[in-house]
Amino acid sequence: MKLMVLNGNPDVANDSFETYLKELSGRLESAGHTVTALQLRDMDVRYCIGCFGCWVKTPGECSNARDDMGTVCREYVNSDLVLFASPVVMGFTSALLKRVHDRLIPLLTPYIRFFDGESHHVSRYDKYPQMGLLLQPEEDTDKEDLAIISDIYRRDAINFKTTFTFTKLTTEPVEEAVNAIDGV
Amino acid sequence: MRLTVFNGSPRGKTSNSKVLLEHFLSGFSETEGNTHEVFYLNRVKSQEEFVKAFREAERVLMAFPLYTDAMPAMVKTFIESLEPLRGREANPPVGFIIHSGFQEAMHSRYLERYLDKLSRRLGSPYIGTIVKGSSEGIQAMPPMMTRKLFRSFHELGRVFGETGEFDKELVRGLAKRERFSWSGRLFLNVMAKIGIVDTFWNSQLKANGAYERRWARPYADSVQRGDGAR
Repeated sequence: MKLMVLNGNPDVANDSFETYLKELSGRLESAGHTVTALQLRDMDVRYCIGCFGCWVKTPGECSNARDDMGTVCREYVNSDLVLFASPVVMGFTSALLKRVHDRLIPLLTPYIRFFDGESHHVSRYDKYPQMGLLLQPEEDTDKEDLAIISDIYRRDAINFKTTFTFTKLTTEPVEEAVNAIDGV
Repeated sequence: MRLTVFNGSPRGKTSNSKVLLEHFLSGFSETEGNTHEVFYLNRVKSQEEFVKAFREAERVLMAFPLYTDAMPAMVKTFIESLEPLRGREANPPVGFIIHSGFQEAMHSRYLERYLDKLSRRLGSPYIGTIVKGSSEGIQAMPPMMTRKLFRSFHELGRVFGETGEFDKELVRGLAKRERFSWSGRLFLNVMAKIGIVDTFWNSQLKANGAYERRWARPYADSVQRGDGAR
């Protein structure tokens, strides 16, 4: 399986997160998976400014920023699974990861149709990778926070025409995530 | 009453958030002595100024569009800047306006749960969240189509200016369509078949000379094109 890890850790000093991800990547590669891990904090990714140029000017591509999002988008649509990985900051995934997430909308079209009775955007590509979530809890993260984050990603998976597969925590053994990914 | 407003739209001063806020604030200002100040979160380098404004606020209102089923990244950046104020005594009461292009309010309910929890995390009394669908295009619509919407926001602002609360009936009225009914879907499906629902986007695509490329797949490699292994 071709796996992309979007590493949304904004903090260079957060070693435990990096150590966990390194171990996870290693284990997945020895199990025969292809892993592309992107260290988002080292990449040039501008904020989405909501111009909708990617829908009405240069369909499928951002018309505003020439930055590293082209690399992310290409990797995204050609992966089988995308792991959104982030420390929890103020009860949600990091602003760094959200900055990338906002810039994924060129992968959809502006058109709206009904899917299971709800209005959602129409696909641009034939298939999209499944989504998984890896979180590092913050000091006061509780079950409610994890449910809120997972539910929002589950909603997003519907818009991105795919399945949300799991939420795993870096405080659990790495096996848990490896098994979850193997099960996809 | 003194209200500190954060406009969290990445479009800033040309945003639909600004239009909705203006109507809310005109109602708010009807009560004598009420004052407000607006900060634009798309000035992302001004976090220090934003945090200071939040810390000194009497009441806070934040308005922004739904971006990939959550808050825009610029809003999350601001929320992270508020981390040092978490749990501080005397954080101001906060209220939110979320709007989205989707017609159903239900798309925004998941983020509403987050905002409720965020208020508790900050130790800020939660005023509530106003959810409004179908916001994209409100600036291009003729006045007769937006009169009722703008009046509702004016009225919400007026009541808020008097009581410091969101009027429950008005909030319910704005979010009226939680989901589409069976007949609503049927109607829109028929409209889609005869090519009416896409005109908002198609006219922009045509104006930009991009209509022929509307289904472009610039990032499809061999896997997506289905022509075998790379």
